Order: sequence, then structure tokens, then C-alpha cells
Amino acid sequence: MTQPHIISSFDRDLEAVQALLMRMGGLVESAILDAAEALEMRDEGLALKVRDGDKAIDALEQQIHSECARLLALRAPTASDLRIVLTVMRVAAALERCGDYAKNLAKRSLILAHMSPLGGTTGSVCRMAKTAVLRLKDSLDAFIGRDKVLAADIRDRDRDIDQMYNSLFRELLTHMLEDPRAISPAMHLHFIAKNIERVGDHATSVAEQVIFLVTGEVPEEERPKADATATTSRSTEE
Amino acid sequence: MNVMTVVERDVSETRSKMDARGVQVWYGDKHALKDVDVAILDRTVTAFIGPSGCGKSTFLRCLNRMNDTVASARVMGKMTMDGQDIYDPRVDPVQLRAKVGMVFQKPNPFPKSIYDNVAYGPKIHGLARTKAELDEIVETALKKAALWNEVKDRLAAPGTGLSGGQQQRLCIARAIATSPEVLLMDEPCSALDPIATAQVEELIDELRAHFTVVIVTHSMQQAARVSQRTAFFHLGNLVEYGETGQIFTNPRDPRTEAYITGRIG
Repeated sequence: MTQPHIISSFDRDLEAVQALLMRMGGLVESAILDAAEALEMRDEGLALKVRDGDKAIDALEQQIHSECARLLALRAPTASDLRIVLTVMRVAAALERCGDYAKNLAKRSLILAHMSPLGGTTGSVCRMAKTAVLRLKDSLDAFIGRDKVLAADIRDRDRDIDQMYNSLFRELLTHMLEDPRAISPAMHLHFIAKNIERVGDHATSVAEQVIFLVTGEVPEEERPKADATATTSRSTEE
Repeated sequence: MNVMTVVERDVSETRSKMDARGVQVWYGDKHALKDVDVAILDRTVTAFIGPSGCGKSTFLRCLNRMNDTVASARVMGKMTMDGQDIYDPRVDPVQLRAKVGMVFQKPNPFPKSIYDNVAYGPKIHGLARTKAELDEIVETALKKAALWNEVKDRLAAPGTGLSGGQQQRLCIARAIATSPEVLLMDEPCSALDPIATAQVEELIDELRAHFTVVIVTHSMQQAARVSQRTAFFHLGNLVEYGETGQIFTNPRDPRTEAYITGRIG
């Protein structure tokens, strides 16, 4: 709805919380990318920066939360205005989780920096991180553009990250089977990969929120899934 | 299914109390109401919202033939209550209004005692044979209107001496004393302070157990708080009619959306 409110300060309030959300999204995206780079380049300085930067993300989430509470109390938003506030709150919560995953990735990269690399797995993790961030960025773009087509597309694309995670899972399993000394780094890398996979899930849920925001309905039909690791066992080894 | 529906708000009642089909109203040359179809559900609070001059009060006044008293008004279409045409020439409008009570914007008690205000309707309609019966009707009506405890010791005092909120509840007591089936309320809280408004709103919710309530209100928040069904009128048209939660979270029509979110409609 592009038509302005009769009370223009209502519009300014709604725009303000959305601007905060976009700033938060930008911080989370670069936190994940920086953490992945810190892992790949064994850059401890960058990893520390990401670890400490999570405070700013958490503070933004708090601010968004209290601004939304104010908006609900003072403006009593209805219909699409209400959906904006509800969506902003849920997306902020999802972004906050993604920020935590970035921080966790940074912390593990500090440990992994002192271990020998496991083949090309670090590169695979970084590619996965970039894909997840792209997904997140697309879903935030869909939010700002109120683009339900893009949102539905993101929702259907969750499969590629799941597939990357599956193949990484198998690769890490192989390393661990070949050499017990690989278990420690492989476990760290696995947690990182799992967290990145969750970032992808959060991006999907942001996309679902966008569909709710635009249409007023939560998409119900089953979305495609390709995470098969829950049913993968040692028999996957050749 | 609308995911925003609060279970308590679910309108389990699906029986229609009053039905309007193709209702048109003209005031002289002015086409005030255009082809309105509404089914007002039994024991449900239905709110009519919309900007000034949209036809919501006009429609409310059709429901008990109050427009009969306006010389220039012409009402067309079919309106039934429990399947009976209320515009049938054999229907006595006075009897109809005993069944379809009304409460107005400003509290308008008669310049009589509190007791007489409530006893007036039952008396003229011959609903009580003895003084004891009349006393009981008055007490029951005042209790239902949540006013009894405040006035039971001064029933002989003039109704006009009560506070605004009490006067409005007295008018509600007067309206329900004749045991109507439908209660029409035309902005019943617009002259009341927030506390008195809350008391009247609580009362409306309680009345739902016995009556069908139709309320016209300019306060969208009030419509959202008290009603189970909401109808949005605009320029004489009924734009949208549905479950209140759905109207306020996900209206189907862009005009409803623009109005309830406070945009230029």
C-alpha cells in the first residue's frame, strides 16, 4: 500500500522500524561473510571483529522490539500496517539468530586457525555461507519490495543449501573415518555447516513472512526439502 | 482459514436474525443506500463502520423502520426479521420497535424518575399486570444494564441527575425493559468518557447472550473490541462484511484497508 496515512507521523514510525531492520540485515549479512572469510583466510583479527560485532546486532534487535511495542501501543495498527509490525518483529528475531550463528562461526574459526586444513572443506563451507547470505539478502529485498514472487522463489530454492550441506556432511564423515585426528576440526566444521544451513532456513522463514505481509496468508503447502543427513549413516561411505 | 482468528471470537452462531436484500434508500433525490445485502446473525454483535454520510446510520434506522418518520425517505428492497417482512403493511411499526430497541448517541432519559424511565416501555406495551411484576422488570433491566447497584437506593431520583455514563446505561435499561430481540445502538459511547465507554462495551458483550446487537460506531477500535462481525459502508455501498478479526487484519477490499488503517479513502 503506497497511499500515505492521514497522520503522517504514523508513516514515519513505520518507515523507521523498517529502516532499523534493514540496517540490522546489513550487519548480519556482513557478519556472516566476514566470519566465513576469517575462516578461509585464517584471519583472527577479522574473527574477533565479528565476535564483538554481535553486540551491535543484539542491541538493534532490542531497539526494533521496543519500537514495535511502542507502535502497537500508540498507533494500534490494523490490516497491512499490523502485518508490517508483526513481520518486522519476526524478521528481527530471525536476523538475531543469524547474527549468533555468525558469532559462533567466528569463534570456531579462531580454533580452526590452529588446526591443519581438511582438504577443500573450508572452501565448501565458505561457498555455502555465501549462498546463504545471498538467500538472506534476497529475502530482505523481497521484504522491502513487497515482492511475493521473489519470496516464493526463495522459499522454493532452499534445496541447494541443503544439498551443499549433505555433500559436506559426507565429506567430513570420510575425513573422520580416514584419520581420527581429523575428528576435532571436522566436528567444528560440521557445526559451522549446520549453522549456515540454519541461516538458509531463517532466510526461508523471512521469505514466508514476506508472503504473509503481502497476502495476509501464511503459505501452507509443503516446501521442497533436501536435507537427508538425518537419515544418512556410515553406509554412505564408498 | 483465517489464521488471525481468535478462538473466542469465533462466531458459532450462523442463524440469521435479520436479513436485508437489495435495500435502497433515497432521501429525496439523494441515493443514500445502494443495494445492500446483509444477514445479521442472532446473538452476535455486528458493528457498522464507515466515514460520515456513508449510510451506516441510515441502514441501522431501516432495521426498526425509524426512516418511516422521515418524510422524504423512501426505502426499497426486502427486510425480514425471523423470515417475516418488517415492511409488510400489516406490521405495526410500534410493535416492531418494541422488538427492535434503539439506543442513541446522546443519553436521552425522560425527565422522570429512574424507575419511570425503565417502567415506561413495559407499561405502554402492557407487559406487567401488577406493580410487583413491573418492579421485577425494572430491576432485571437495570441489572442487565449493569446499573442496578448504583441506583437501587434512589429509584425515585430523576434520571437526568445521573452521570453521562449512567444515563446511557439507563437508556440501555429502558431499551431492554421491553424484552426486545434486537438492540440497535447508534454511537452509544461517543458522548462518554473512557471508563463509562468501557462499562458500556462490557455491557454490550454481556447483552450478546440475550440479544442481537447492532452498533454503529465511528471508533474503529470500539468496533474491533466489541463486535464479532463488522460491516464497512462507503458512499452508500456495503463494501465489505465479515468476521471482525478478518476485517481488521486482512480486509479483502482496498477501500476497507484504506479506511481502517487511516489512509485517505
